[in-house]
Amino acid sequence: MTPRPTLGSFAESRGVTPRPNVTLTPGPSPAGRERGAGVRASLAMFDSDLCVKCNICTAACPVAAVTDRFPGPKAVGPQMARFLHPRSPSIDPSVAWCSGCGVCSRVCPHGVPVAEMNIISKAAIRTGWRQRLRDWGLARPAVVARWSRPLRPFVNAALRSGFLRTAADRTIGLARGGPLPQVAAESLRHRRADLARQQPAQPGGAARPRVAFFHGCSTDGYEPWLGETTIRVLERLGVEVEIPPQGCCGLPLQSNRNFAAARRYARENLVGLHPWAERGIPIVGTSTSCTLALKHEYRAVLGLVGPEVETVSESTYDFFEYLDQVLADQIGALDLRPLALRLLYHPPCQLRSHRIGTPALRILRRIPGLEIVVTDAECCGVAGTYGLKSELYDVAVNVGADLFAQARRTSPDLILTDSETCRWWIEHHTQVPSRHPVEILAASLGLEDLRPAAGLG
Amino acid sequence: MSPTLLIVGQGLTGLFSAVLAARRGATVRLIAEGRGGLSLSHGCVDIWRNGDIRFARRSLGRGHPLSELPREVRAEALSEFLQLAQEARLPYVAAPDRVLRLPTALGSVHVTAAAPYSLAAGSLDDPTPFHLGRIGGLRDFSADLATSAFRARGVNVAGTIDLPVPARARDLYAHDLARLLEDPGYRESLYRDWTPHMKGVTRLGLPAILGGDHSLEVFTAMEQRLGVSLFEIPTLPPSLPGLRLERALRRLAVASGVEVIEGPSVRGEVDGRSAGRRVSGVVATTAGGPRVFRSQAVLLATGGALHGGWMSFANGEVQDSVFGLPLEAPEDREDWTAPSLFESQPFSRFGLRLDSRRRPCDRRGRPYFENLYAAGGILAGADRSTEGCRQGIDLASAYAAVEAALA
Repeated sequence: MTPRPTLGSFAESRGVTPRPNVTLTPGPSPAGRERGAGVRASLAMFDSDLCVKCNICTAACPVAAVTDRFPGPKAVGPQMARFLHPRSPSIDPSVAWCSGCGVCSRVCPHGVPVAEMNIISKAAIRTGWRQRLRDWGLARPAVVARWSRPLRPFVNAALRSGFLRTAADRTIGLARGGPLPQVAAESLRHRRADLARQQPAQPGGAARPRVAFFHGCSTDGYEPWLGETTIRVLERLGVEVEIPPQGCCGLPLQSNRNFAAARRYARENLVGLHPWAERGIPIVGTSTSCTLALKHEYRAVLGLVGPEVETVSESTYDFFEYLDQVLADQIGALDLRPLALRLLYHPPCQLRSHRIGTPALRILRRIPGLEIVVTDAECCGVAGTYGLKSELYDVAVNVGADLFAQARRTSPDLILTDSETCRWWIEHHTQVPSRHPVEILAASLGLEDLRPAAGLG
Repeated sequence: MSPTLLIVGQGLTGLFSAVLAARRGATVRLIAEGRGGLSLSHGCVDIWRNGDIRFARRSLGRGHPLSELPREVRAEALSEFLQLAQEARLPYVAAPDRVLRLPTALGSVHVTAAAPYSLAAGSLDDPTPFHLGRIGGLRDFSADLATSAFRARGVNVAGTIDLPVPARARDLYAHDLARLLEDPGYRESLYRDWTPHMKGVTRLGLPAILGGDHSLEVFTAMEQRLGVSLFEIPTLPPSLPGLRLERALRRLAVASGVEVIEGPSVRGEVDGRSAGRRVSGVVATTAGGPRVFRSQAVLLATGGALHGGWMSFANGEVQDSVFGLPLEAPEDREDWTAPSLFESQPFSRFGLRLDSRRRPCDRRGRPYFENLYAAGGILAGADRSTEGCRQGIDLASAYAAVEAALA
């Protein structure tokens, strides 16, 4: 297969100058500076001149709406940038309230990367050692899952223990009300070791569609059944699935201010995934935050440049985006069983930042019997690890309040949402079982029954 | 199979046509680079500068977008819009036989054809004198500025009153107050603080802060408890009346099955198999690079000069920003602008010309593509600001485009 065109070549072929990718070659940090200082050179800063101060982002920001401690994405981002050296991150510490949900960038009519600027600025904020201890763990879900697996019964019991959770809340600021997943007995990579490859297999005789499955660390370590369901659905559609070498996408590290480690993770993933991308094999994932990291954050926030990141980014698909864009014919020919369910679908903020609309809805609307209501909320509040921090927890709950109220009002059988942290968070706060949309598709294909409610710590 | 329609732009034109098309059974995708026009607007429906919805078409110049739209279409579009607004619990006031003359934040008079109930309550034709409220900490509205300008104009303003709100840790925006006011507990505290200031007040004008998505409940409750008749005046953008309408229309669109794709900029895609006669959709700059969105028909609702619907190049060419269709413009750029900023600007009339089936066409009336439609600010021939016809064109041309695209 020929490599897919990159955005640059696509735009050039039409005589359009592409909007510059946010480029950054992270140089050595100046001596004596905290980590995060090395991110100052992002081109995102230069784009702040596109801001006309219309406040559309301020009106759309779900965090500024619920706390006046956050002045809003414009005030701490492009507006602040006017008073600073173009390469300096914001010096307003209130940028720490930004949850990174990305609504501001998406609603901006002038293409200002507001959220990216603020996420970069956040990384330069210093925190206390207790928070750093907590953030170390929150930023490394894959490491936590791997290390704690041998002690799994104890770890999972500890995660459910009210006493220990209170202690963690008081000492290191891990919010007691923030739902944490349970470590799975076996990882997905272990359970489907038959699909793991170091390099793409040589194509066989029949030209079947192929994908590289990017499971993300949550599916691997905490919800392996979700990965198995996804693989079953793909195989049912005639797709050959391979699991390339990969680790955590690095987004939790980025959100927890450790850009250097996030870049290391990113480079490892790029090395692992590039052989597939290079051959035009789509990289497909069910976690919309992980796939967003591959598509966007590596380039726009971590500032990675080069052909590897371009190719991997532009070969990455959200699972339902892949079904809709690449497997439209197979989907159209499916015999889908009716499911009599009332569903509330929440498109996560990270999915919306893909800028592809709501592909899961496109597919699920083919299933007879489903009654689907779509939420009004821009964000459920948790925004990855934001809502798990004691100092941010109340704000996160208030961000999600309208969504929780809508869930109570409509009393659906299930809530559907694509990102795992959103699913855990929404289930915890509404007490309505929450599922990934692929589980509904699998049930309608007759591949499996719907899973009973998950236990969250 | 239901017909598919892809709409580019989510201003009033895009959102209104999306709801109309979805309710007529089409599968609709609405794709937009950000949010814009509508949330910055006053939320009223301006149809012509004298506010008259029934103005004679001969009073328009040839080639004006409204002169192509028969009176029945304009009336039908407005009536559908008013029904949708009603359904979204955002009732509008429109009297077919007279115009609304409403107060503005600068103390001038805004003549319009339809307005949200809370703005319409401020009609200057109501002889009851009014007070204006000075909300402490809200910078985006000056009761004193408005009052002095109204008095210079002979409008009877009884006076201004101070209305304290609890101090906040940062700048106070109209949408902050709107959200706070949706909380009955917060309203209770305001009643306590505001009631002593209501002596001698029968009618009170406030900046538009009375609630967001539940403005009708907030407005009614506050009128009752304060014991005065209230009205709102739109503030600096983003202004609540525009935001409420935008959110209401987007909610109606999503509930009607419209898929909203927010964020990417798009370029048009032409169907190669049709020998260039048809468009096949758009290519969008998604987070993961260019992705194609195909549709049987495409509707351009991209807006005019101020909204990104067209762009000009160094060589003097002017093109629509999605398909690169050529727009007519004077060769000398000096002729694009008027000598004064406050005159009608020639560039504001740049835009696409349409054939009788609402498709962009060349000078000789031949459509560029069989299945490409356009509506709203991208249409040539109108200066929507000075003519006061912005929303009139949006609604009527959106209505006509949807009818044509789904015919």
